[in-house]
Amino acid sequence: MDSSAITWVLGLPILGFLIQAFFGKTIVDAMGPAKGKRLLGALAVTPIAAAFAIGLGITQKLYSEGHEGGHGGHVVSLFSWIDLASLKVPFELIVDPLSMTMVLIITGIGALIHLYATGYMAEEKDYPRFFTYLNLFVASMLILVLGNNLALLFIGWEGVGLCSYLLIGFWYKDLANSKAANKAFIVNRIGDWGLTLGMFLIVAFLGANWSRLPIQDGRLLSYDVILPALETLLKENVPMATAIGLLLFVGACGKSAQFPLYLWLPDAMAGPTPVSALIHAATMVTSGVVLLNRMHVVFEISPIASGVVCAVGAFTALFAALVAFGQTDIKKVLAYSTVSQLGFMFVGAGSGAYWTGMFHVTTHAFFKALLFLGSGAVIHAMAHNQDMRNYGGLLKYLPKTGWTMIIGWLAIAGVALPIAVGTAPGLGFAGFYSKEAIIGAALANHHATINGMNLSVISGWTALFVAFLTAMYMTRLTFLTFFGKEERWRSIPAHAEHGHDDHAHQADHAEHGHDDHHHGPDEHGFFFTEEEMAAQPHEHEHHHELDGTHTPHEVPPSMWIPLAALAVLSVAGGFLLYNNHFFEHFLYPNDLPVLGKVEYHPHGLPLDLLWLSIIAAFGGILAGALVYAKGLPKKEGFDESKWNPFRRLAGEQFLYDKSMMGGAVDGGRELGVGIWKGIDSWLIDGTVNGLAKVAGGLGTGFKAIQTGYIRLYALMMLLGGVGLVGWFVYQASQLGGGR
Amino acid sequence: MQGVPLVAFLALGLFMFTVGVVGVIMRRNPIVIFMCIELMLNAVNLTFLAFARYMPAPVVTNPSIPASVMGGQMMVIFVMAVAAAEVAVGLGIIMAIYRLRDSVDIDEMNLLKG
Repeated sequence: MDSSAITWVLGLPILGFLIQAFFGKTIVDAMGPAKGKRLLGALAVTPIAAAFAIGLGITQKLYSEGHEGGHGGHVVSLFSWIDLASLKVPFELIVDPLSMTMVLIITGIGALIHLYATGYMAEEKDYPRFFTYLNLFVASMLILVLGNNLALLFIGWEGVGLCSYLLIGFWYKDLANSKAANKAFIVNRIGDWGLTLGMFLIVAFLGANWSRLPIQDGRLLSYDVILPALETLLKENVPMATAIGLLLFVGACGKSAQFPLYLWLPDAMAGPTPVSALIHAATMVTSGVVLLNRMHVVFEISPIASGVVCAVGAFTALFAALVAFGQTDIKKVLAYSTVSQLGFMFVGAGSGAYWTGMFHVTTHAFFKALLFLGSGAVIHAMAHNQDMRNYGGLLKYLPKTGWTMIIGWLAIAGVALPIAVGTAPGLGFAGFYSKEAIIGAALANHHATINGMNLSVISGWTALFVAFLTAMYMTRLTFLTFFGKEERWRSIPAHAEHGHDDHAHQADHAEHGHDDHHHGPDEHGFFFTEEEMAAQPHEHEHHHELDGTHTPHEVPPSMWIPLAALAVLSVAGGFLLYNNHFFEHFLYPNDLPVLGKVEYHPHGLPLDLLWLSIIAAFGGILAGALVYAKGLPKKEGFDESKWNPFRRLAGEQFLYDKSMMGGAVDGGRELGVGIWKGIDSWLIDGTVNGLAKVAGGLGTGFKAIQTGYIRLYALMMLLGGVGLVGWFVYQASQLGGGR
Repeated sequence: MQGVPLVAFLALGLFMFTVGVVGVIMRRNPIVIFMCIELMLNAVNLTFLAFARYMPAPVVTNPSIPASVMGGQMMVIFVMAVAAAEVAVGLGIIMAIYRLRDSVDIDEMNLLKG
């Protein structure tokens, strides 16, 4: 294996990051904002696109070699990093189907989103800072998936966490954004706690069984050493497999926003929309699924850990889908949808069909990135107002955005026709294939069984119901935004404020509304023209508010070309990967090491799974269309007191966020204050100060004796002497008296 | 000397010592205090000499206590030497204090008062 190619894949984004970080500001200053930003944008996109091209070549080679999947793959050792007597952690990369799948998603989708961001962030003053973070994110994510040991995975894990934090808080002048960034970072710490403990447990467990390791060179974290070892050793110690599996799953829950820890992801929407698309939909949040795929041996051995994965995934999917109905912010709906779809991936992985999780990661990356970028275009066109209640009928104004987003909507809903093509039972959009594979695997398998309760089947039925809900709330989003005759922002009086916008100081797209200066999509170049750039002040304190005089404008090509590319993938990507078991055999050519062959076709269903999926998709769309075809129902208007109780509760995440924040944040503060006042001030300070007071009081008391009169001292000496002699005499008389 | 009993020496010594102690405690003039200290020292000297004189013969001739023959007298010589040195130093201090404060009243020297 040529090691230099994969080194370039990792090195190019790092190079891009260094250029942005050290020369970004210089370039903008030297060339002026318009030209400088154009060059910087190109410098940001090129490394990612080049890495994608190289990655494509490597994957092609890997595929044509017919390489054995599973544990193997090529290991490329770059340099030694931690080198102890009994533990060696080299900096080594693994090139196998799983890592290359993720590399292609990260660099491919990443390049498109970088391109989109050059347009979306064009008026941003901190342009170099944004692309510095974004390139660093891609580099960290590549380390996460390419590293051949858990320590490198952890570095990447923390690196993407850091970039997520930096980018959520990108507009840090707004306190709410900083708080959202902190929340994401802190909630993720809980997951990292589980991941590190899981890692330590693996090292301790393998170290205790040193003599039975296949390769005894001390690389106790490297996959090529630990995976075969865990497979044989954990079979004899299933509780250990459960413990390792659950700890790793805690880590996955944190990063992939599963139920107890999902709290941070909806708030992470405070970041710029390209960030939401890249980090909080397509790549970073799927690293939990990647971790489960990487360590699948552990979960295959432990039915309990698998059952927990299934149950948590299914519950999260259902919970987030219900919450999505109560959201009015377009990005929040997509955020909950992401949480829900991540739940699907865990249902697939938990039921033993790990590749279905990765399959959904891939298709979800296509259509969710598309939906997020589309929502960004809508927000961009609507003066940064994110409230769907202000939209309506936008398809007329934003045809490119609208039609691509409609494709995304159909893809996430899982629309398909019952026409068998190739090995696929139906012909549909990308989301159909991955969801159907997950639900089928969950319903057909019995691996995740705890105490006789088959959790994967329960999760499968739940997932099917959630598929229906998904179709319905995405229909709500699409209809409220693009369809309906009323253009609801027309009824906003000038400079009234509805809802909130995520970046008040962000410069607006162009001078909207007030004058008739028309610039449709055709009048744009690939980027904004220099006149347009010059016409925009660099930092607006108050940008143009959305009001009745507003006219939405289609986005420039740098923004809709990525939309179009993703739309093509959302249409065709699912079928291409599914047909002839292409993706399944690419990831797991020899089935799973412990479970063997995994079943995908449930038997004894009232209807064929294909029909169930199609009914869920079309039923959801139909139900959504019936409610929202006429535009915004009166019961969902701006007056939230008229909402029905379910929707109000859903809007507040069924009070979960509030109780968690109340319990953890306020409770933590109460505990801190209690410890401060009770233990520190009272107990510790009291003891120390009390001792000092006792000593002082004794001194004050004895001071009275020291009169300064010598005769008194002499008298005391005398008395002491007499007392001493008297005592001696008494003792002597006791001893010698009877002679 | 043979006629004077031991207890008479001891009684005189006790009397002189008591006078010395009372003088040290009661008087304010440091010269007088010095004299009282001398009185106490001499009371002790007297006691030493009396016991030395009246030491029983078995003790005097006991070969296991070789230095005991002139022990009392030796101790008296030591005490007188130390007392002389003490007076020299003490009087010097008193002279210095007098030059400094124009007074030697012992009750006014209370710098160590707490």
